[in-house]
Amino acid sequence: MLKYIIKRLALAVLILLGVSLIIYILVRCMPVSFIDSKIAAMNQGGATIPEETIASMKKLYGLEDDSFLGILKGYGNWLKSLCRFDFGTSFKYGSPVIEVIRDHMGVSFAVALIATVFEFMIAIPLGITAATHQYSIRDYVVTILVMIGISLPSFFFGQVLKDILAMELGWFPPTGLENATQSYTGFAKLLDYFSHLFIPILTVVILSIGARMRMTRTEMLEVMNSDYVRTARAKGLSEHKVIYKHAFRNTLIPLVTNLAGLLPSLFSGAIITEQVFDLPGIGNVAYKAMIEADIPFIMGYNMFLALLSVMGILLADLMYAIVDPRVKLK
Amino acid sequence: MDNNIKNITEEAEITAEVASNEEENAPLDKNVRLMSPMRMVLRRFFRSKLSIVGLVMIIGLFLFCWVGPLVYTQWGEIEQDKNGKVEYTYQEVTFEKDGEQHTMYQVVETSKQINSLAKPSKDHLLGTDKDGRDVFTRLMYGGKISLTVSFIAVFAITIFGVIFGGIAGYFGGVIDDIIMRICDILICLPGFPILLIIGTLLDSAEVPSQHRIYYLMAYLTLFSWPGTARLVRGQILSLREQEYMVAAEAMGYSVKRKIFKHLVPNVMPQLIVSMTLSLGSMILYEASLSYLNMGVRAPYAAWGTMINIIATDQNILQNFFNVWGPPGICIILAVLGFNFVGDGLRDALDPKMRR
Repeated sequence: MLKYIIKRLALAVLILLGVSLIIYILVRCMPVSFIDSKIAAMNQGGATIPEETIASMKKLYGLEDDSFLGILKGYGNWLKSLCRFDFGTSFKYGSPVIEVIRDHMGVSFAVALIATVFEFMIAIPLGITAATHQYSIRDYVVTILVMIGISLPSFFFGQVLKDILAMELGWFPPTGLENATQSYTGFAKLLDYFSHLFIPILTVVILSIGARMRMTRTEMLEVMNSDYVRTARAKGLSEHKVIYKHAFRNTLIPLVTNLAGLLPSLFSGAIITEQVFDLPGIGNVAYKAMIEADIPFIMGYNMFLALLSVMGILLADLMYAIVDPRVKLK
Repeated sequence: MDNNIKNITEEAEITAEVASNEEENAPLDKNVRLMSPMRMVLRRFFRSKLSIVGLVMIIGLFLFCWVGPLVYTQWGEIEQDKNGKVEYTYQEVTFEKDGEQHTMYQVVETSKQINSLAKPSKDHLLGTDKDGRDVFTRLMYGGKISLTVSFIAVFAITIFGVIFGGIAGYFGGVIDDIIMRICDILICLPGFPILLIIGTLLDSAEVPSQHRIYYLMAYLTLFSWPGTARLVRGQILSLREQEYMVAAEAMGYSVKRKIFKHLVPNVMPQLIVSMTLSLGSMILYEASLSYLNMGVRAPYAAWGTMINIIATDQNILQNFFNVWGPPGICIILAVLGFNFVGDGLRDALDPKMRR
């Protein structure tokens, strides 16, 4: 097991190196003049980025030399500063990239965590009823509803919900995270956060229930057709016991594995949802940085995402071996 | 268990049905009509109502987008309705004079050059958008772009996936290792942020706005084939060990023939299902890109582009559903259709799921 983990970690480092090289080359494809003009526009817009910072940034990314060797050298420099955990300073936000990511991760994480909890709580029972009543009206209704959920474009559905729940009915504030006109403390502040986050979370939950429910249903159907379930029924166990004590336990294997794989991605933020509701989450921040060609932030954020997905895959594989004793890792 | 019994009787009924139609004294092989696998799949596919609904939705949308513009030629994709009418708006003004309250209506006359934000009428079936372009017409042209781009991307992804997955699965060893490591790297690349970066790159390269989406989808293809490659590789790894492949080996067939005639056709069922389902997600991807103003840009139409106005214009979001509602509904219909068909195909192609 330990050997397997070490091997996988070594592989993860290799993968991250490859990812960083690809992103670096892509970022380097941006013409320098383009970056210069972007910085100039930002300086005009109120941000003040001193000449030395720009020069040192350019040096850090090796931007002054555009030949193939220059790109490689720049990549080497970037790696070197990465070893000192130095991702550079964001052009747009004016503070170290790591700090920007850290400051905005909380909102995204809260939305993703609450949404995931609800998603599992709703999707699993739905999947089980759909599977145990296969081809019944109930199965069809649930399937059609969750399929519609999968098919909704997040920006469209988010706007519709915002329009109905916030604009027309006025139950929830439409955008942002805090009520700007009043300053709350303690419980009232929490309530304020919650009322702002309600619609975004609802959007995410409705969009993601489908996939989880379909997965539960397929797994459950497969388990329900296996021999040991028939044996359990032949013994005369109650249907309730057969489903929840015998069948559902094995359905849990892929679900738990999936959950483990999901954990890191909870931090990554949802670009479009956060943009629709103008939440100060990491996805929104990254989107704004990206359309303004904020190179240090782009590199830092994308490496962060890649790290999260590498970790997710590793966690899922490890979890698979832990939950299912039939699986042996080599 | 109930289900099993039902299934068995159902199947028996089918064969009985076939047999009773024929003459009783004919030889056995004339009594039983053999069903080709293809026909069995089709039969199972069309037995599910959802797949039929999905198919109807997709065919309907295709007809709408391709035949529609030929029939409904009143307006062009980027043509503006210049017949703006004089519009009168009035407001109540109250004022005091000589201690008495007077109410007066102030009438403002505005002559619009462009017939923008018109309500649905005979001239404009779904009204016009902010720039006076016909929403109904743009819906058809936008669908054309969205569907074409998604189809191209999915086919390209499948071709790449089959080639690389096939090679990796068949040859194994070092080649397999190299291809799979490349897949690992590409899978860990954050897809959407990179598309945004490429979007800004296209900005700086000043690519014409109607071509942008093709570049973006090309990059999307480049980063998305590993999923298909893994699927194909996994299938081929298990198929490679089967007896019929040993037989093919003994017959001395060429490598090309073994891969493309013996292995790939057996992967086709899973491949077709994953293609159909990913068509839906490609449409969503394209729409999201256009919504973020990265893909197709105004004045050209794509479903996502047509919705993108509501991100900035509160008035349109609240009062002009006819501008942004229809493209959203079209996206949902297209994705839902492909999901229904994909689901139906999965059930129909799965030999374990005989119903």
